[in-house]
Amino acid sequence: MKSKKEEFLEILSNYQGILYKVSLVYFKSTSDREDNVQEIIYQLWKSFPTLRNKKSIGSWIYAVSINTSLSRVKKKSHVEYRERVPEFAGSTDMLDELTANESLQVLIKAIYKLDELDKSIMLLYLEEKSYTEIAEIMGITKSNVGVRINRAKESLKKTLKI
Amino acid sequence: MDNIELQKIWKTLDNELHQKSKEELSLLLESKAKQTLNKYLLFIGISILASIGLLVFLVITSMNRQEDFIYIINNATLGFITIISLISGLFAWNKFRNTRFNQSLKDWLNERINMLSKWLTGKFKTLYFVTIPVFYVLIVLSIHVYFENKSFVDVFKSEESIIGLIVAAPIGLFVSFFVVRKMRKKQLQNLNFLKDLQGRLNRLNQD
Repeated sequence: MKSKKEEFLEILSNYQGILYKVSLVYFKSTSDREDNVQEIIYQLWKSFPTLRNKKSIGSWIYAVSINTSLSRVKKKSHVEYRERVPEFAGSTDMLDELTANESLQVLIKAIYKLDELDKSIMLLYLEEKSYTEIAEIMGITKSNVGVRINRAKESLKKTLKI
Repeated sequence: MDNIELQKIWKTLDNELHQKSKEELSLLLESKAKQTLNKYLLFIGISILASIGLLVFLVITSMNRQEDFIYIINNATLGFITIISLISGLFAWNKFRNTRFNQSLKDWLNERINMLSKWLTGKFKTLYFVTIPVFYVLIVLSIHVYFENKSFVDVFKSEESIIGLIVAAPIGLFVSFFVVRKMRKKQLQNLNFLKDLQGRLNRLNQD
C-alpha cells in the first residue's frame, strides 16, 4: 500500500505542469517562479488530507496554485503595482530562457498585461477548462465566466493586435 | 489568430516545461517544510524566550520590592499584558499561517480579508495603538524605579527622575509608534491589495 507522501508525489508528478503555468503567468523572473512553485507544493501538501474528491484533483491544484500565487504577488495595490512595473520590463530575456517559440512568447507577454483576475481566468480558458470548473475555482457564476473570458480575450487580442 | 489557435499555442508550453522527478519534488517539499518549520520555531522561540525573560525579571524585582505595593501592581499589570499578548499573538499568527488555500478564490479572499481586517482595522486595532505604548511606559517605569533603588512614590518625587522619564518616554513612544506603523503599513498594503481583488471579483459577479 502506498504511503500518503508517495500518493501525493504521484499526483504532483502527474500534475506539476499546472504549478509551472500558474507561476509563469504571475511571475516574470525565474527565481520568483521557482520560489512560488515550491510554496505551492508546500500548500498542496498541507491541504492534501482534506482532498476528498479524487476526481477533481485538477481543480484542487489550480485553486491552491492561484490562491498561493496571489498571496505572493507584490503586496501592493493593483494600481501601484501596474504603474511601477514598466511594460514587459526584463521579461523578454526571461522568456527566451523558457522558450524559443515566438508565438508563445508573444502570448505570454500579452497575458502579463492582463490584471490578476483575468490572468487566472485566461489561464484556465487556455488550459481548456470547462466554464463549470472555472466558476468553481474562481467562485463566480458560470454565466459570468463566459462574459469575463470574452472580455479577457478581447483585451488579449488588442495586445496581440489581431 | 483565433481562439483555438491561442489554445494551441499555449499547449506548446507543455513541451517546454522541465518536468521534475518524484525525488526532486520530494526534495523541494522537504526543504520548504524544513524552512517553514525553522521560521515557525524561531518566531515562537524568540517570543517565548523574550516573554519568559521579562516575566522572570518582573517576578524577581517584585519579590525584592514586596513592601512597594504600587511597584507590584505595575509589574503585575506588565506581566498580565505580556502573557495575554504572547498567547493572542501566537494564536493569531498560527491561525493566519493555517489559512486554507484549497477553496475557491472568492472564499479564500473572504477568509483572508476577514482575518487581516480584524487585526488591522477591526476590534484588535486598538491593540496596536494602546497596548504597545502602555506596555512601553510600564516597562520603563519598572526598570527605572527598580534601579533607582527608591520606592515608586519616591521616584516621582525626584525631579531628576521625572525629567528623565519626560525625556525618555516620548522618545521611546515615538520609536515604538514608528516601528508599529511601519509593520502596519506593510500589512495594510497587503489587505488593500486583497480587498481590491475581492472588489473586482464581486463586480464581476454583479455584471
